[in-house]
Amino acid sequence: MLEGFGNFLIKELKEMIRDPKILIGMLIVPALMFPLLGSIINFATQSAREEAAKTSVLVLNNDGGTYSEVLISFLNSSGVKAFVVNNTSPEEAMSENLLSDYNTTQFMEIPANFTGNMTQYVQGNSNVKASVNFYGVFSVGSVFGNIGSSIFDGLVERFNRQIAPNAITTEKSTIIKGEIQKGVDPRILSGLVLSQAIAMPIMIMILLSYSMQIAATSVAMEKEEKTLETLLSLPMDRFAILLGKLSGSIIIAALGALAFLFGLTYYMGSLTATMALGASLDLVSLGLAPSFFGYLLLGVSLFVTLLSALALAVIISAFAEDVKGAQAIVGYIYPFVFIPSLALMYLDINTLPLVIKIVLYAIPFSHPIIASKAVMVGDYWTAVLGIVYVAAFTLVIMYAASRLFATEKILTAKLKFRGLRKRKERPSEEFQ
Amino acid sequence: MNTAIEMSNLTKDFGSIRALSRLSLKVEIGEIFGLIGPNGAGKTTALRVIATLLLPTSGSVEVFGLDVVHEAAGVRKIITYLPEEAGAYPNLSGWEYLEFMAKFGTNDKNRVHEIVSEGAEICGLGERLKSKAKTYSKGMKRRLLVARALMTKPKLAILDEPTSGLDVLHSYHVREIIKRYVKEHGVTVLLSSHNMLEVEHLCDRVILINKGQIVAEGRPQELKEKFGSANLEEVFAKVVGLA
Repeated sequence: MLEGFGNFLIKELKEMIRDPKILIGMLIVPALMFPLLGSIINFATQSAREEAAKTSVLVLNNDGGTYSEVLISFLNSSGVKAFVVNNTSPEEAMSENLLSDYNTTQFMEIPANFTGNMTQYVQGNSNVKASVNFYGVFSVGSVFGNIGSSIFDGLVERFNRQIAPNAITTEKSTIIKGEIQKGVDPRILSGLVLSQAIAMPIMIMILLSYSMQIAATSVAMEKEEKTLETLLSLPMDRFAILLGKLSGSIIIAALGALAFLFGLTYYMGSLTATMALGASLDLVSLGLAPSFFGYLLLGVSLFVTLLSALALAVIISAFAEDVKGAQAIVGYIYPFVFIPSLALMYLDINTLPLVIKIVLYAIPFSHPIIASKAVMVGDYWTAVLGIVYVAAFTLVIMYAASRLFATEKILTAKLKFRGLRKRKERPSEEFQ
Repeated sequence: MNTAIEMSNLTKDFGSIRALSRLSLKVEIGEIFGLIGPNGAGKTTALRVIATLLLPTSGSVEVFGLDVVHEAAGVRKIITYLPEEAGAYPNLSGWEYLEFMAKFGTNDKNRVHEIVSEGAEICGLGERLKSKAKTYSKGMKRRLLVARALMTKPKLAILDEPTSGLDVLHSYHVREIIKRYVKEHGVTVLLSSHNMLEVEHLCDRVILINKGQIVAEGRPQELKEKFGSANLEEVFAKVVGLA
C-alpha cells in the first residue's frame, strides 16, 4: 500500500462530500434525474400501450365474401375496433376523409378477389395467395408513435396460424401529409424517425454541455489566476471583457453548430441513400428531412440556444471562486439541458399535459429539439417563435451579465450555501 | 501638485463586516509607499479601491487628482495593478503576454514592440520569454508580472505583495527592479506586504494597518526611533499591544 494514500483519500472524500456544489451536482442531481428519466420512459410506454389497446382500423371491404367476414370477425375478437365500409377504394377513403370521420389513423383494404384467392389457397393451390393492403398515417411525433403497423403484422400472423400458414400476404403503404405513398413500409420510416428522434437530442446535449464547460472554465480561470482583477484595472471597457469571453465561446460554439449540421446532413444523406433502395422518395417533400430553409432555421435555433447557454454559463461561473467550483455550478444547468432532450426523445410535445408543455417551452434548451421536429414537417413558425423566445432570453441574460461585469460584484459575488453545512466564521480573503 | 494618492476617511464594508475604517493617507509622487499589516488587515481591500476594482462605502480616494469612483476610466489609464499571487495566461508565452498587455495602452506597433522590449529587459527572462507561461516557476511568473506592471511606465504602480512566496533570489531581483524603476522613471509605487523587514529596506514611507485601521505611519527609521525598536516587526508588535 502506498504510504499516506489512505489518509489522503479520506481527506479528498471529506473535502468533496462537504462541498455542497459537488454534493448537489454530482450526487443529488443524477440521483433525481434517472428516476425522472425512468418515469418519462414509463409514461411513454404506458401511453403507447394504451394507444395499442384501443387500436382501431377502418376496413375497406371490397370483397364482401366469406373470408373477408372471417377476417373482420378475427380483428374484432382480437380487441381491434374494426369499422367496416364497403366498396370504397383507398383513394376514395382519403378524399372523403373517412379516417378522421372514424377517428383512426390506419385502414386496411380487403381487395375484391380476397375470398376467391383464399378459397383456392385453402384447397391446396399454394401458387395463389390472398393479400390485404395496410395503410398507416405516418407520425413524426415520437418514437412510439408508429406502433399501429407492428400490431397489424402480429394480427395477420395470428390469423394465418388459425386459418392456413402464409395464407395472407400484406402490402404496406404509408400516408404522409394526406398522400398515399404506395409500397413504402412505415417500419423503414419509423426507423428513420427513431434515429432522428434520438440522434438529435443526444448531439444537442453533448454540444450544449461541452460549450458551457468551455465558457465556465474560461471565466473561472480568469478568476482563479487573478487575471480578471488585472483586466478590470486596465483601461478597457468592462463590457468588452464579457463580450470577448462570449465571442470566444461563440466562435467555438458556432463551429460546433456547423459541425453538428454537417454531421446531420451527412447522416440524413446516408439514410436517404438507404431509403432509395426500398422506394424512391423525396424525403424533404414528405416532411421526413428538413428543406434548405429548415436546415437554416435549425442552425439559427441551435446557435441562439448555444449563445443563451454560454451567457448563462458565463454569468453563473462568475459566482465561482475557481475552475472546480465553476464546473460544479454549471452542473446545475445540466438538468435543464438533459431533461428536455430526454423527454422529447420519447414524447411528442403536442400530446403532453399543458403544464409540462409550458415547462418544456420555457426551457430555452428545448427549442432546437422542438425546432428539429417542426422543420421536418414544414412548421417553420414553431421554429421561428422558438428562436425569438431564446433570443429574448439570451438578451436578458446578457444584460444581467453586463451589469455584473460593470460592478464590483464580479469580484465579490459568491454562491452561499447556508445551512447545508456548519462552517466556522472566518474573515474572507477579500478583506486582506 | 506633488500628491499621487490622497485618501480621505476611506471606509469599506462587506455586508456586516467592516474591512476598512476611516483610512486616510497621502502618497507623494515618486516615492515607494508601503502598506504593512498581517493577513486580513485590509491591505488588499485598500489597494483594490485605489485600483478602481471596489467601490468605497464612504470616504474618497483621488489618484493624481482623479476620483476613483467618478473618474475610474481616467484612473485606469495612469495606473497598473498587480494582484497578489496573480498568474499569467498559461497558454500564452511570456512575450505574448507582455504584448497583450502593452496593446491596452497603444495601437502603434512600434510602440508596442518598444514597451514589450522594455518589459523583457525588466523581467530578465531572456529566451524563456518564448516559452508558454505554464512552464514558468513561481518566481519567473512573478518577475514577468512585475515587468508587466512597470513596462508601460505608469504614473502609479500598485503592487500587492510583490514578493510573496518567492525565494531569496527572486525576491531580491523583484525588489531591485522596483527600486531601479522608481529612480530611473519617477514612477510612484504603492505596495503591500506582510513582510515588514523587506518593506523596511524598500519603502520611503509606510503605514501599519491592523483590523482595517491605521495604527502607525511614517518613515521606517522614524518609526523605529519613535517606538525604540530594532525593526518594523517590533514596532508593529508594540503598537498592537503584543510586546
